[in-house]
Amino acid sequence: MKIEVSRQNLYLLILSVALLIFVLFFSFLVLIPQGKQYREKRVQIKKEEAELKVQKKYNEDTTNVLKELRSDNKHIISAFANTFETKRFKKLHDNYFSELVISKEPTESDKDGFSVYSVKAVSKINSPKTFYNFLDAINKTEWIISINFPINFKRDGEVISSSFTMKVYSNLVDMNLTK
Amino acid sequence: MIYSYTKARSKNLITSELKLLFIFFFITIIMLLMTYLFLTYKNYSFKQEHIDIEKSKSDLNISLNKMNSDIKFIEKQVFVSKNIFTKNTILKDSITNMFDLVPDRITLSEAKLLKNGLILYGITPNKDVYNFMLQAPLRSIFHRTYSSFYPSENGWLSFVSKNYIDEDEIIEEEK
Repeated sequence: MKIEVSRQNLYLLILSVALLIFVLFFSFLVLIPQGKQYREKRVQIKKEEAELKVQKKYNEDTTNVLKELRSDNKHIISAFANTFETKRFKKLHDNYFSELVISKEPTESDKDGFSVYSVKAVSKINSPKTFYNFLDAINKTEWIISINFPINFKRDGEVISSSFTMKVYSNLVDMNLTK
Repeated sequence: MIYSYTKARSKNLITSELKLLFIFFFITIIMLLMTYLFLTYKNYSFKQEHIDIEKSKSDLNISLNKMNSDIKFIEKQVFVSKNIFTKNTILKDSITNMFDLVPDRITLSEAKLLKNGLILYGITPNKDVYNFMLQAPLRSIFHRTYSSFYPSENGWLSFVSKNYIDEDEIIEEEK
């Protein structure tokens, strides 16, 4: 039995097969790997986005903690950042003393990561009560000040002479973390 | 001379079947190419997105590290300052207690508050007043108490009272 195929039909068949092969090759060699890559990347991006979201949330929480900490301890932070000024100290605490002489000691050291320097105070007070008031006020002052031993009280007529050393704590110069 | 009444149709290379085939494959190829372009674009955009996410993550990490060190530093400041405030308050209480300890019949002329002790200078009408009203409470507070007396101009007795707490007790308290 002889199958008669016209020349045109033969061309048609060859072209159809050629195009089909092209489509198949294109699909398998280019499109499918590209699609696979797309699917993998989409999953990866979704995962990364979820991670980023968690990280952003954690960052936000940490920011809030820091903000809260800063607002709760505003006085302490600014007190550590302030530089001690004898004039300002005298102006603020003059009302507790009938006489107050403040002198900065030359020694300066680092303690617990803070710069600490000593200030010697020689003063005259009318009664011990004013000294108590001064000790109450020292915790609310513009600096972080620790009153140190020895503390001397000496009766001097109607007034009491007192002498004591204070340690003023401030941030180290290179630590500007609280800015 | 005409042998047929029908005209011979012109024969084209592109027949209607071939046209149909071309249209079909053209549409197919266009769709494939569009899909390819879409995938390529998407892959590119994913790549960019990945870079952006990585950058955001790294920025967030940097800011998080900075915030954490800020938090640690503030907490340290708060800890140190609270310690200092407590120390000042205790000091105030110690001074208040010291002045409260001295009875009205004894007059102090000088007081030295040391880290490990207290030195008092003053006058007392007699030794008994000093012993019962001042030395007894001082003995209950300090580990070692030394007193010395010498006569004063007005007939009273001047005294020097030196009171100390042992160093190892202070170290233990500080711990």
